[in-house]
Amino acid sequence: MNTSDKHLRFGWWSLFFWLCLGLGLETLHGFKVGWYLDVGAEMRRLMFTLAHAHGTLLALVNIAAGLTARAQNAELPRGASGALTWGAVLLPAGFLLGGVWIHDGDPGVGVALAPVGGLLLLYGVFGAARAFTASKR
Amino acid sequence: MLALGVVWAVIVIGATLTGAGRAPADPGNRPVKEPEAGYVTSDACRSCHPGNYASWHASYHRTMTQVAKPENLAAGDIDGLELAHDGLVWRIERQGGAYFAKSRPQNAGASAFGAAQEVVLLTGSHNLQILWLATGEGRTLTQFPLGYIVAERMWAPVTQTFLLPPEYKTFYAAGEWNGACMDCHVTQGRSRFVDGNVFDSRVSEFGISCEACHSEGRDHIAQNRNPLRRFALHLTEKRDPTVANPARMDAHAASLACGQCHSIWAFNNLEDKIAWNRAGVSFRPGEADLKQRFVVQPGDTAHAEQHAQIQRSNPHYFGDRFWGDGMVRVTGRELNGTMASPCFKGGEFSCLSCHEMHPDRPRRDALKAWAADQLKPGHEGDASCLQCHGDYAAKAAAHSRHAAGSPGASCLNCHMPHTTYGLLRAIRSHQVSSPTARESLEHGRPNACNLCHLDQSLAWTAQKLTEWYGQPPPANLGADDREVSAGARWLLQGDAGQRALIAWSMGWAPAQQAAGRAWLYPYLMEGMNDPYAAVRFVAWKSLQTLPGFDGFKFTYTDEDEARRAVIGRAFADWQAGVRRPGEVYPEWSLLTPDGYFRQDVYLRLLNARDHRQVFLAE
Repeated sequence: MNTSDKHLRFGWWSLFFWLCLGLGLETLHGFKVGWYLDVGAEMRRLMFTLAHAHGTLLALVNIAAGLTARAQNAELPRGASGALTWGAVLLPAGFLLGGVWIHDGDPGVGVALAPVGGLLLLYGVFGAARAFTASKR
Repeated sequence: MLALGVVWAVIVIGATLTGAGRAPADPGNRPVKEPEAGYVTSDACRSCHPGNYASWHASYHRTMTQVAKPENLAAGDIDGLELAHDGLVWRIERQGGAYFAKSRPQNAGASAFGAAQEVVLLTGSHNLQILWLATGEGRTLTQFPLGYIVAERMWAPVTQTFLLPPEYKTFYAAGEWNGACMDCHVTQGRSRFVDGNVFDSRVSEFGISCEACHSEGRDHIAQNRNPLRRFALHLTEKRDPTVANPARMDAHAASLACGQCHSIWAFNNLEDKIAWNRAGVSFRPGEADLKQRFVVQPGDTAHAEQHAQIQRSNPHYFGDRFWGDGMVRVTGRELNGTMASPCFKGGEFSCLSCHEMHPDRPRRDALKAWAADQLKPGHEGDASCLQCHGDYAAKAAAHSRHAAGSPGASCLNCHMPHTTYGLLRAIRSHQVSSPTARESLEHGRPNACNLCHLDQSLAWTAQKLTEWYGQPPPANLGADDREVSAGARWLLQGDAGQRALIAWSMGWAPAQQAAGRAWLYPYLMEGMNDPYAAVRFVAWKSLQTLPGFDGFKFTYTDEDEARRAVIGRAFADWQAGVRRPGEVYPEWSLLTPDGYFRQDVYLRLLNARDHRQVFLAE
């Protein structure tokens, strides 16, 4: 499987997952679930919102990467491709896990995944930018 | 076009930078918020403790003192309000976001209004709200003479919202807010006496905020900027030494954190008072004693010298605050009662055994219900007692000799009866005790049995307590103690404090259930004619609980003649439309078959009334 297909497949499934989470969050709002909406759960709300927003956005980034690779008929370097995928997993997953167990105004330790994901994402996007810049259509 | 854009950008950036560092203007005429030393105010606590901030924000601690803004007034917009009091007409006018009060003699025209004084601060927000006026003398405040009773949506002279002798025409004089009230109604207040009656008062925060109980936050915040430190604390649940947390203190220290205000306290000496005046309280939550102050407990030999000094300067001091046996009789001073309780002596019982300042997972609607008493969730009934005395859950009926689940089998009703007074009502004593006939006979405090069984005599109570609990019977019971209902006697013969408690009990559902309602009407109407305004208010509110008088209108602050006319009409209405024909009144009720007082006993008891001046210093 080439990187274009890989990113497209990952991107669409990832988009599906994070949209499901969005639906879940709307359900929590709809039923006024205290665990999510109480004033003491501000941090959980923030973390889940960030997880949903980042997860969805990064899924679209992966789809865009796949489409760009296909359009340019180029392959992403393996490292950059992996970083782009894992960054799109770890960054939102960190927010998600950080919101499950919170400590007042602090997220849970799961949030430690977020900066790792952020760095991988930076590396992945940089690698993709370089690869697409160097590619000759 | 580009040049215009650049000019516009420069203007916007300039305006932003200019405004960013600007401190709010100092009003100059009232105490101001100026955190000192390590105080940082609740604004700094919010981001890390949103849940705790929310529960504090919903509490009445926060609104104990507020700057007088339209949104903080319990009465709503009071622009144009006119109130007559003590020969003066007071008028309030709004100018922008501020209110100003001015007065004129009642018989003079509108041109006679004197200079307007700005309404600058507010005390209280859910029971009673008192307005404070700028005096123009530094930051010294004086009291607006009328307060707002929130539940009744009515203005009343402040002197008539406390239990004070009727001849008192003023309550707090100019400067008393700065010199006394701010000791407890703000966080880390500094009176800062300047000269004459001029103060330059500062507070770390208006109202009772986070740092009142958790101590200064500056170091706590600085240290916890480090996420590794925070997560180490979260994951190990170790105590954070940079902050005081009453929930993790020993029972004595936790109670003292509340009791620094919720107690009857006095300064050790003049030097400590002066130091407090200059720099504010030196006590910090978590410490084992109040440092510049001590909790005044009758019989406390460790402070005998200070007690003697207090007694010399105010011979009524102890009588205005304590029953004869040393039990506190005014509300807001709960630590005195708690400390004298046997539970407290066990070393594990504290205010936080029953009360909770930050309920878990607070919901906004639940916080509203919690805020009135700040009880732990589920502790509205006997749950607090059963935490330690769990075996009594099964034997409550046998122990109390009352049906299980009935008010008579409630731990609180017998061991924490409504024998303290404040906020125009009776409030549960926080000294856990067992009822005795002796407490009533020797110290005048209505006992728990007769607060419910208002119809029964003191001798009946003594006999039951002897029979059920082996209490030695009091030897000095008189004829009235044997033959007359204790409730009737206290209402006619008691001092103003006793009368207020009994008038309240007459409106209390468990007492009405135990003692019946039919005989209460004449007594409550008698109470509505009491010389003490507070007793009149309480009696009126109790009358409203009786059939036929729901929503009954009565202005307890009216002059004698107007009040008597309303009471006369109420009595006639009762006779004509409410009282059941053929109603039988037992002998103990002192009522004739047609619902009038039996004049011989009534007059005898009334003539024997305890007329001592009562000033319940809540």
